[in-house]
Amino acid sequence: MTLLQRDPKAPASWQGELPVTNRYTYGLAGEKFFRTIKDEGHILGTHCPHCDHTYVPAAAFCERCLRKLDEWVDVGTIGDVVTYTFLYVSLDGSPLEKPEIVAFIRFGDGGLIHRLGEIEPDQVEIGLMVEAVFKPKSKRIGSILDIKHFSPVKI
Amino acid sequence: MTAKIKEFPGISLSEQDFTDGKILFNFDKLNGIYAWDTGVGIGSYLASLKAGVILGSHCPNCRKIVVPPRTFCEFCYRPMDEFVPLNDSGTVNTFSLCYVTWDVKRIKQPEIPAVIDIDGASPLHGIMHMLGEIDPKKVKIGMRVKAVWKPAEERQGSINDILYFKPIKEV
Repeated sequence: MTLLQRDPKAPASWQGELPVTNRYTYGLAGEKFFRTIKDEGHILGTHCPHCDHTYVPAAAFCERCLRKLDEWVDVGTIGDVVTYTFLYVSLDGSPLEKPEIVAFIRFGDGGLIHRLGEIEPDQVEIGLMVEAVFKPKSKRIGSILDIKHFSPVKI
Repeated sequence: MTAKIKEFPGISLSEQDFTDGKILFNFDKLNGIYAWDTGVGIGSYLASLKAGVILGSHCPNCRKIVVPPRTFCEFCYRPMDEFVPLNDSGTVNTFSLCYVTWDVKRIKQPEIPAVIDIDGASPLHGIMHMLGEIDPKKVKIGMRVKAVWKPAEERQGSINDILYFKPIKEV
């Protein structure tokens, strides 16, 4: 006889959890970028005079000529929708009745990916001007989510 | 540091900088939950540990008893025939004095992991476990040790149902 039978009293599986955590610091330019969002509610970029290119989010070095960037520009809080998508599935895979709208919003020569809010899905279009809606200052922690969402500019 | 480089470039951060809020950061925790199927051999091994017995398995062809039990003989590839209960004592095959914990914290009193050849298994067949109730300076290869078990009601079918091995003779 060979050993083929499982012991019914034996644990069927060994369960555990790998303690994997990480702490990401934003770097020199990222630190100033998020610090300004947190403390002042402004979006900053860096400008390369040699390439005439404005990086948003702010970068410490120019990707094109590799020069160090120290010319900081406030790009305001209004940008235009370059592209967008509707998400009908939430993070845990459950279906959503009302879609979440995620868009790429142009600032300078770069831009931010963020949610759109206070808008119906059928009103979204490419080229729409949207404005950042910040959380109250006391609730900001220095994250991109300190911007609650972007909503259409009210005229 | 080298002769050329006196100081590493960059800004070094201390734990204090994070707690004081001097630096912004993003904390994330990855979902690292896993379940590992114990199978026939290890399943029986864990069940018998719960009952307070160290289990091995026997290959009549090689006349070997291995621990932890396997369902196939790793020497002749023949299916094993039977489980064999072994003694909960053994001999230290090798050991180490470990001055850091698993998450790399320094400790003054070393932990002593050791490979213990279990009595009843074939020579040089043993399991890795901890030694306890012993002065680290007095641990020796060839030392006779015995398992210290958790109370029966606290055992849960794990190798940690054995707390540690302690010397049989006072040293």
